[in-house]
Amino acid sequence: MIQMERRVVVTGIGVVASNGIGKGAFKHAIEQGKMGIKTLPVADEVSPFKVGGYIDDFVPEHYLERKLVQRTDRMTHLALAAAQEAVYDANLSMAQEDPTRVGAVIANTLGGATFATKQVRQLHLHGPRAMSAFTAVAWIQVANVGQAALRYGFQGYCKVPVNDLAGGLDGLGTAYRAIRRGAADILIAGGCEAPLDTFVLFSQGLSGWLIATDDPTAYRPFDRHARGFLPAEGAGLCILEDYEHARKRGANIYGEIIGYGQSNDATGWRKLPENGRQYARAIQQVMHEGKISLDEIGYFSLDGRALPIADRAEVDALQHTFGTQAEHIPVSVPRTMQGHSYAAAGAIDTIGALLALQDGFIPPTLHCTYPIYNLNLVRNEARSLHGNVVILGARSYGGSNVVLAIRKIT
Amino acid sequence: MMRRVVITGLGVIAPNGIGKEAFWQANIQGCSGIVPISRFDARPFPTRIAGEVRDFDPLRLGLTEDEIVTLDRGSQFALAAANLALEDAALPPLNDAEREAVGVIMGHAMAGADEGERMWTRYSGHNQYLDNVPDMADLPVWNTSSARSLMAFVPSSVIAAHHQFYGPCLSISTGCSAGADAIGQAFWAIQEGQAGRMLAGGADSAISPASINIFSVMHALSRRNDEPTRASRPYDAQRDGFVMSEGAAVLLLEDCELALARHARIYAELLIFTSNCNAYHMTALPENGAPLQALLRQTLQEGGIEPHQLGYINSHGSSTLLNEIAETAAYKAALGESAYRIPISATKSMIGHTQGAASAIEAAVTALALYYQVLPPTINQEQTDTRCDLDYVPNVARAANIELALTHSSGFGGVNTALLLRRWRS
Repeated sequence: MIQMERRVVVTGIGVVASNGIGKGAFKHAIEQGKMGIKTLPVADEVSPFKVGGYIDDFVPEHYLERKLVQRTDRMTHLALAAAQEAVYDANLSMAQEDPTRVGAVIANTLGGATFATKQVRQLHLHGPRAMSAFTAVAWIQVANVGQAALRYGFQGYCKVPVNDLAGGLDGLGTAYRAIRRGAADILIAGGCEAPLDTFVLFSQGLSGWLIATDDPTAYRPFDRHARGFLPAEGAGLCILEDYEHARKRGANIYGEIIGYGQSNDATGWRKLPENGRQYARAIQQVMHEGKISLDEIGYFSLDGRALPIADRAEVDALQHTFGTQAEHIPVSVPRTMQGHSYAAAGAIDTIGALLALQDGFIPPTLHCTYPIYNLNLVRNEARSLHGNVVILGARSYGGSNVVLAIRKIT
Repeated sequence: MMRRVVITGLGVIAPNGIGKEAFWQANIQGCSGIVPISRFDARPFPTRIAGEVRDFDPLRLGLTEDEIVTLDRGSQFALAAANLALEDAALPPLNDAEREAVGVIMGHAMAGADEGERMWTRYSGHNQYLDNVPDMADLPVWNTSSARSLMAFVPSSVIAAHHQFYGPCLSISTGCSAGADAIGQAFWAIQEGQAGRMLAGGADSAISPASINIFSVMHALSRRNDEPTRASRPYDAQRDGFVMSEGAAVLLLEDCELALARHARIYAELLIFTSNCNAYHMTALPENGAPLQALLRQTLQEGGIEPHQLGYINSHGSSTLLNEIAETAAYKAALGESAYRIPISATKSMIGHTQGAASAIEAAVTALALYYQVLPPTINQEQTDTRCDLDYVPNVARAANIELALTHSSGFGGVNTALLLRRWRS
């Protein structure tokens, strides 16, 4: 029953990002280095957060019936749109599948905070009866997998990892392991987030890690002036599938997930570690699990937190793992184009990497104007990609280091 | 070759008892932890009762002063329960390499709801129900020390930090099944060799005006305000909804070899973790409990056991009519005649519904039932609901001789989870 040797491949992708909705537009955007950061519509006079990765051309009603739009948070609108794209892209027909072998793993960090905030306002301004009866099922993080399961009839394994800014990679990693051990055949996996509400940004801003600015170029990892990231909304979902199952149904295969590594710095939720020792351990786990050789690595998609201490630790982790080779491996922070979409970010990066492997380019890092580390950073413009593996790293403010690796099947 | 996984430490924070011993005694004596709400002025609300943890002393439970100041109540529960579990397991000091092989997975459903509401009231200046919320004008906006934690990844992170555990660390947020899911995922992590030991469980504290009211507007909560201890009554004909509660449970799971090598006391072995999704409704099972039937069948099949071998079920039993009709129907369909012979009890009758913590607390109860060979009761069984006609261990605990026990949960969003445990015999 438990079959550790099962291989896990990606057969469909769905993406809703600030610089592109849908596979085609998104691929074009990351290849061209297109910026998704724009003025936030919610920005009022009191909000210090003026810019972010807002998806201004997203119309929820194009994907969801009006009633459902009203009864769910924007995180769920984004997730269901990405799910629709992914299911279509994978040519997945639930009528052909055993529904108990199909499930969803959608990471999320903040829940339906915007929906919840509105209802808390209703309560405190207009009393107990003024709250929407849909609040409980709209704001919980499980709303996204629950709604996806309802929509498509997924009756199998469903989970919701929460790991702050790293959750998207955990969504994919958790699903990868579940399929590998035989707990499911097909899982729609990734992450979604919708944090661009004034109060939600305020609550996040208390941490001091979000940049309160009107400068759309303020997210500058590995730059002399790095001072934090810009927030974004988005969703990235992949159809993960047992390799044999995918082959039997003749599915298009983007690539294989070959490793998932996890460690924690044990520094708590308010402090960043000084070094990359534990992060390096997560990278090594993935190198080992995926039997990855150095010359296979097309690029390393970095966390790129854009705080001096975090950037330094990330460089330290690379040096710890790859030694003197660290400065030669191409690295990039593609999320500088979209802003940091929390639990969606790792999944959107992975989708970018699958498209990059397919078309042979490395998506660039924007706004690192004054690089101060000895890195082979792909800046401003895409570069051609050599190698069939991409490694992706992500870190949380809870000290988690999460690493995922994908390989193109040749 | 999969490794075997055993439960060697238990830490519980519940309205009817803090610490394994007090909690277990309360359970087998049928003590309820439901009380009139004291955390805020509940008079304007239709439901004014909840399961409150009354004597929580974080300092005594090993939290530092900084942790007490910066962590929200749910995170404090999580850390305190983890501390209790480690103490209970008598785990000796570990070196760096050993701590790299220890991870943390916690489940939550309502993380940050309480603290988020507080933050909103002081941010907006609109506060109708909460006491002691400082006015925004008094707060330095960008001073991080003024913010308490309110995000779901925090509890697992602070447990890892407090004990310097460097292994896999994350949270799971699958509603009321979150705690059991966290335990299940941690079980798999050890089974597959990603860790040697895992702390896993659930925690939630959401007794705030908005957190209670979101369920009130759905008419999901009991309004038996005058008789708090009689309010949570799964399977009883007079039930009128669930009772909101707060709490936490953390289990120390160990690779069997590691536990044996250190001569650890073993409560039970974790055999099987299964889960599925209703894909039916965001808050309800179909009346025949079909998804739960499927889950029970899958669990037995993966465990290679027959229904008659199952000695005990700790049910989801939330004191909600539709849930219990579906549950009972599923037991009969999946277990056949055995359904009438297997004792079933609902821990929520005593402690209410602790949300993301509930299924972890119930896993702890199931492990203790196997260890002590005593089945805790379902209290408040007074008037039989003819549609729920199984053996719910009414009102009084019962001695037993059982080898296999199952606990299962169902949550908003439709995720159902089951854990199958086996009595440990050395």
